[in-house]
Formats: sequence, structure tokens, C-alpha cells
Amino acid sequence: MVSGGILSPIIGTIILMALVLLISVPIGVLGAIFITEYWGNHRISRIWWMVVNNLAGVPSIVWGLVGLGLLVYYLDFGLSLLAASITLSFVALPLIMIATKEAVDAIPSSIREASIALGATKWQTIRHHTIPYSASGILTGIILSLSRTAGETAPILLTGVAVNAAIPNSLFDSIQALPYYIYLMTQTSDRSAAIPMAYAAALVLIFLIVVMNLGAIVLRNRYRKKYRW
Amino acid sequence: MAKIQVEKLNVHFEKNHALKDVSISIEEGEITAIIGPSGCGKSTFIRCINRMNDLILGCKVDGNVIVDGNNIYDKDVDVVDVRKKIGMVFQKPNPFPKSIFENIAYAPRIHGVTDGDGNVHKASKKELQEIVEWSLRRSALWDEVKDRLDKSAYNLSGGQQQRLCIARALAIRPGIILFDEPCSALDPIATAKIEDLLIDLKNEYTVLIVTHNMQQAARVADKTAYFYMGDLIEFGETKQIFENPKEKLTEQYITGRMG
Repeated sequence: MVSGGILSPIIGTIILMALVLLISVPIGVLGAIFITEYWGNHRISRIWWMVVNNLAGVPSIVWGLVGLGLLVYYLDFGLSLLAASITLSFVALPLIMIATKEAVDAIPSSIREASIALGATKWQTIRHHTIPYSASGILTGIILSLSRTAGETAPILLTGVAVNAAIPNSLFDSIQALPYYIYLMTQTSDRSAAIPMAYAAALVLIFLIVVMNLGAIVLRNRYRKKYRW
Repeated sequence: MAKIQVEKLNVHFEKNHALKDVSISIEEGEITAIIGPSGCGKSTFIRCINRMNDLILGCKVDGNVIVDGNNIYDKDVDVVDVRKKIGMVFQKPNPFPKSIFENIAYAPRIHGVTDGDGNVHKASKKELQEIVEWSLRRSALWDEVKDRLDKSAYNLSGGQQQRLCIARALAIRPGIILFDEPCSALDPIATAKIEDLLIDLKNEYTVLIVTHNMQQAARVADKTAYFYMGDLIEFGETKQIFENPKEKLTEQYITGRMG
């Protein structure tokens, strides 16, 4: 087990992150904007945010169990990339939604009023004002939640990783991922050979997260400079 | 016919009856000042004229507001069309956190430009530049900002920001402009500039201005309406309201014994 490189876990983690991004960003960002802008301070939206705040605190192993029961067995996805990425999206979604809500709430309502009074529709106001002005805050939230999910082991342990999985060809293949690889290396019997590999993999994981964050920080600063209030 | 004809307007916020049976008729090309103590329904009243109260949860409006012969509270009226024809300037300057140019170009860009035959087409870059220059000249801001149109509107002073908001409202080519206490956050010099501008805009536009400053109402307005606790107490020529009020409540307010 200690032979062989870590290309497969690296690729696995990158693919997982890409899928989590693909699933949770549109749903999380658009969902949160829809609820804050269209439901406002309605009772349903207050209940909604209470639920989301609680979901954000759910331990990741619990999400792993949800993924195992719902996706792996009930929907019969098997131990797969699909099940793992959806389960990781469960972890990321509440965090992204909360960050989006906070960024949107920070925009003074007087700016929205100005746009509406000029005869803009609600959607035009959201598209031209709410989204661009809150983009830097939303991006920060996305980075933070993505970095957190990149390091999650428990959810994917139960839903999609396998010891010797290759680079996946389809959504239904099982995969490897860096956090899982690190965990595995610390559990093998050949400790003297495996522990340095675990540390090396951990360094790679941290490096990946730093690169991701740097990219997002650059993007965020561009928005910040463009729309300052 | 009157430019704005308000008939039996009633506004409720949940259980609070904010405006009671207000009927008023506003002539084209005049400045009408709305005065009264805080919480008397002044702002609520002018926000009914471009249906901004629709945004407030639990707000219910009954009665007719007839603008240019059309009741804007009819069921088949498109709210967006109503607001396109009515400009509004708020209490606190609220420019968009974009460049000066973009602030003014925003409305023409989303609405398009109407040509001589009444057809709407997408605004070209040149047309946008013309609209921006025209609006800024009209709001007496052009000379101060012409060299920095691409700079953020947030770098302007409060008074300049408020004139930018006026320019932004003018860019939709409205017939009516509503001012909701436009000078309450400004210093006396900036206030004087806005007042000059108001007088300058008269005749071309029908202006409604809510103000706490009675001297301001006396200086700029043709007509003045006095609101108290949601009732329209008195409406008439500004001179008559200030010098010879018919109602006791108006007199008390004008002379500073109340409010």
C-alpha cells in the first residue's frame, strides 16, 4: 500500500471540489439570494434561516450517514464519485447560503430602493446591484466552505472512496481523495514507511487549498475594488 | 386637468392607519411642498405616487391615484411603467457604488431610449454619453465632475451625491419628480444649491417635496399641503398657508407651537 504515488488522490480531490462547486454554488448562492430578496423578513424565511443555521453546525460524520443511507443505498448510487460529491455539497451548502445571506444583507436597502424607483424590476435590481455588490462577500464564503470540504474525510469515507481506486472515468466510479489517503496512511501496519507519506500528502493538500484560496482572493479583490461602498 | 389627482387615499400598515381619506389635486409644472410633524404620513403619501409602498410588507393602499389620466392602482397597471415616468430622490443620498457615469447611464441602459416616433431601442454609447451630460448639466453638476465621470460616485461630497441622484432621476425623463426630504442630510450651502435647482426644474417638471424645513417650503413651493396624523389638514397657495392659514392646526404648526 505504501508503494505508488498520489496522483489518483490529488485528481480525486480536485474532481470532488469541482463537483461540489458545481452543485452547491448555484443552489446555495441563488437559493439564498432568492429567499432574502423575495421572501424578505417573512415568517417562512425566518424559519428557513433557523434551519440552515442549525444544518451548518451538523457534524460531518452525520452528513456521511445521510449520504450513505440516502444516496448510496436508497438511490443506489453505490460508493461513487456522485454520492461523495453530493454528500460534500450537503456540508458546503449551509455555509455558502449563510455567507451569501450575510453579504446580501450588508447592502444598504437604500441602494435597492434607488434602483426600484428608477423603474428597474426586482430581477434587474438583483442582477445589476445585489449580485455584483455582494460578490466579494459571497466569494469569501465559497472559498471558506470549499476549503473546509476539501479537508473533510468522514463524509467521503462513507460514500465514495476506495483504497485502490483509480482516476474515475464516470460519476459512478469510486475514487481516492487526499484526506482519505492521509487517514489510510496513518492506519497501515508499515508505519515507518507510511507516516512520512501521510505528512507529504498533508503538505500537498494544504498546498492545494492555499492555491485555491489565493485564486479566490484575487477574484474577490477585483470585485472589492470595483464596487466599494 | 390635474397632473396628479389623488382621491380618497387610505394607507394601512398592519393595524396602523397611516393616511386617512386624502384627496388632493396637483397641477402640472408646480412645486408642491408637503409639510407636517414626524410620523404624519408625508413620506407615505409621496411614496404612494410611484407605488414605492408596494415594497413594504403589510402595507395596504386603497383609493385612486390618477397620474396623467390613468389610475396607477388599477389592477392591470405595470408598476415598472409607473416608476419609469416618475423620478424619486431620497432623504439620504443613495448613489450606486459605481462610477458617476454608470450611475446615470443605468436607467437608460435598462429601459432603452425612446426616439421621436415613440419606438424604444437599445441605447448606443453615444446616446448614453449625451444623456449623462444632459442630466448632469441639468442638475448643475457637470462642471464639477466632467473630468472624473469614471470615478466612483462615493468620492463626491454629500451635496454632490444628492445632485447626482437628481441627475439620475432626470435621466429617465420623468414628468414628475418626488423629493423625500432631499436636504435633511446636507449642509446649508448644499441645501441652497438643491433649492436653486428645484426652482430651475419647475415648469418643466411637476415636483413634490417633503420637507421638515418650513423656510424651505416657503422659499421654493407654489403650493403647500399640511399633514397631521395621517389627515390632510390644509392645502393651498404657499403664501396663504404661511401667512393666513385657515385651520387652527396649521397655524399652530407654522408658528412653532406644535411639532
